[in-house]
Amino acid sequence: MAGRDTTRTGVLIAAWLATTTAGLAQQRTNFVSCPIVRDTASVPCWLAEYDGELYFLTLQTDVSAEVTPPWLGHRVLVEGTVSAEPRICGGVVLKPVHLSVVEADASCTTTLPAEDRYNLTFAPPRPPGPSAGRLAFDNAPAAPPLVTAPTRQFTVPYDFDGLVGFRHARPLTDILEFARSVNARELEIVGYRGAVKLSNGQTLVEEAGIAKKRAQQIAMLLQGAGLNAPGYKVRWEDEPVAATGVDDHLSRRVVVTVRAP
Amino acid sequence: MTLRRAVAGIASIVSRHSRRRTPRVTIGRLAAGLSLMIWVAVAVATAQSGAPSWWEPGQQTPLPAFATYSNDRGQVAVLNVSGAIETKGHAFFEPIGSNGRACVTCHQPADGMSLSLRTIRERWQATGGKDPLFAPVDGTNCPNLAPADPASHSLLLERGLIRVSLPWPPRRADGTVIDPEFTIEVVRDPSGCNADPNFGLTSATPSISVFRRPRPVANTKYSTHQNFGVGPFIAKSGLPTAVDPITGKPVSMNLMADARAPTLAAQAADAAEKHLQVRGPLGAAAIARIVAFESQVYVAQVSSTAAGSLIEPDGPPAFGPQHLADDDPGVLGNNTTRYVFPLGGQWEHLPRTGDPSNDARSAARESISRGHDVFMFRTFWIKDSMHLNTVGLGNPTKRTCATCHGMHMTGMDTVNGWMDIGTTNLPWASEVPLNPWNEAKPQMPLFRITCKPGVKPHPFLGRVIYTQDPGRALISGQCNDVGTIVMQQFRGLAARAPYFSNGSAATLRELVDFYDRRYNIGFSEQEKQDLTNFLGTL
Repeated sequence: MAGRDTTRTGVLIAAWLATTTAGLAQQRTNFVSCPIVRDTASVPCWLAEYDGELYFLTLQTDVSAEVTPPWLGHRVLVEGTVSAEPRICGGVVLKPVHLSVVEADASCTTTLPAEDRYNLTFAPPRPPGPSAGRLAFDNAPAAPPLVTAPTRQFTVPYDFDGLVGFRHARPLTDILEFARSVNARELEIVGYRGAVKLSNGQTLVEEAGIAKKRAQQIAMLLQGAGLNAPGYKVRWEDEPVAATGVDDHLSRRVVVTVRAP
Repeated sequence: MTLRRAVAGIASIVSRHSRRRTPRVTIGRLAAGLSLMIWVAVAVATAQSGAPSWWEPGQQTPLPAFATYSNDRGQVAVLNVSGAIETKGHAFFEPIGSNGRACVTCHQPADGMSLSLRTIRERWQATGGKDPLFAPVDGTNCPNLAPADPASHSLLLERGLIRVSLPWPPRRADGTVIDPEFTIEVVRDPSGCNADPNFGLTSATPSISVFRRPRPVANTKYSTHQNFGVGPFIAKSGLPTAVDPITGKPVSMNLMADARAPTLAAQAADAAEKHLQVRGPLGAAAIARIVAFESQVYVAQVSSTAAGSLIEPDGPPAFGPQHLADDDPGVLGNNTTRYVFPLGGQWEHLPRTGDPSNDARSAARESISRGHDVFMFRTFWIKDSMHLNTVGLGNPTKRTCATCHGMHMTGMDTVNGWMDIGTTNLPWASEVPLNPWNEAKPQMPLFRITCKPGVKPHPFLGRVIYTQDPGRALISGQCNDVGTIVMQQFRGLAARAPYFSNGSAATLRELVDFYDRRYNIGFSEQEKQDLTNFLGTL
């Protein structure tokens, strides 16, 4: 009896999990579109249309934001999850969301004027002018590394088809500081090439060779910053990681393993 | 020679000139004649008023601890916090090179430790073009031009520009060659230097000549700070930051128009070799003395012809060199605790007393205060500006002047400050209008940059870029750096026109007008006047 109950409970849980997972998967919204900027009484909102729906991507804040706005004149790859939050600036909120500026597209020019009905109902993390004495988000340095740890692995994330950019100063600094603090013996750097399954069923694959470019660039930058003592093992996986439509952004990465003597 | 006689003389020359030619006196020629007349008139008027004096290399008189110099908007002050400077035997002030120049030649106290176009023209007139300032090496458009001909110095005499010759392809700090991301072709070469077989791209030592304004050598703790935003990787690109070759520490990369010199010492050594033509390396003691001087000298406007003293004891802490000396470098300005330029609201609303001079001064101060608010809080859409719109703010971004000019007390960038706002890149760079009714010819070189296959094109300018000065890209070799120029401090502006690295804004008003056009700001006339007045008090 007890065994049958257990089995039935397991089946129910499995069914609930399957439903939930399917639900989550359905809430994933991945698409490429022109970004739209809408002015407000304070900071602009960034939006995008897909399949007849308007989605809210992010606000203009500052360099400390986890999600930073796309660019007009270019298309944007949106990898988001539909949130239950109230609409912002008229758009369905995607949260979390990952944005990648992709190809130039001169037709992406839509700038919408401010309208009272779309003004923000909350104070934005940062006003459009100078800050209130801080960055919009807590961007404190990572905790000091445990210098006794013999090995530490760092994952460097990327935008789609992206190489190192303004976001990477911090993670590169973290690697550099740890490697120096442990007098690293070896750095193993592995580059990966990602792919994204879009909501329309298509799969976008990053350009061939990008895994190599990423890995070599990270090695070059660390060496350029003076980290020349450790040995470097640089390799890459140019076969794109299989796309599922869920957290595909994680496939765009370089993994750096720092080994102490 | 009186002003009236000078102007009459020039008018006579223009008249003879126009008689000699056909009656088709063009707009360009008229403008050139007027420009020359104004130049002479200003020079004579300046001499009569006894205003700014030239600091002669090797004059060996002490530079006072505090000295003021007149300019069109009032007075600028030079403060030496270590006391009066003994200039005799001092490498900054002595003509240590082979061409008679000293560092002070292009970094004049009266010009806020930079060099104004007015001073350049005065020197030409006073010396018949024989001042070492006009040395062929870089005081001519190209060293192969006739030194006695003012046309050979047109970029210096008309825009205040010094020739800067840079190796192509670029070199790393260790001397190794960088494989640039782009090719560069000379499209237009008015100076003749870029196509010259001895000095140009096809010479034995391939070089590119660009033309830039001397930057102020003062308030340097702000341009060399080790505070906010300085780390081992450049905050705007993730690339390795340049390091101080002595200490090994990352530097802020805010020196020079292209950040090619990581430290004051490196800049001094480079300038001694290139501009002063010092034979052999500059000695360590000489460099140390130059750096020591540059590290303690502060410059700011201290009085305004309209607003009176800027350094009253209870006045706004934004003004004057003492406040610069006392404050902290490398602090990101904000609107609550550390304004970029802290006026403290003291001049927002001033009472009127009925005394015309007092009321006029109050009105001028209120204008300056409004100008400050325009600088800090007047939003506009900043678009397609490399290293601003690409660093997490989005394109466009609705921000203010203070977004880029954010460093407390100077308005520089706290992080590496090179950015493309369009001063040198087409389509925004100032170009001579070409038409059948204008005989004026372009003065600036024009280069065509083509990003190589396999390199991502510039996000806002595409794969082919036309530029008068590739800026930082001549050092980094990167497509995204084409036309990016390190932004300058805002101090002593009234003493050192013209503005921008290529001298394309003759006045502060033209500078404001450039931004208004570039970003479609839509400043009102009042906003323009107020912002100009504010800038003129810094």
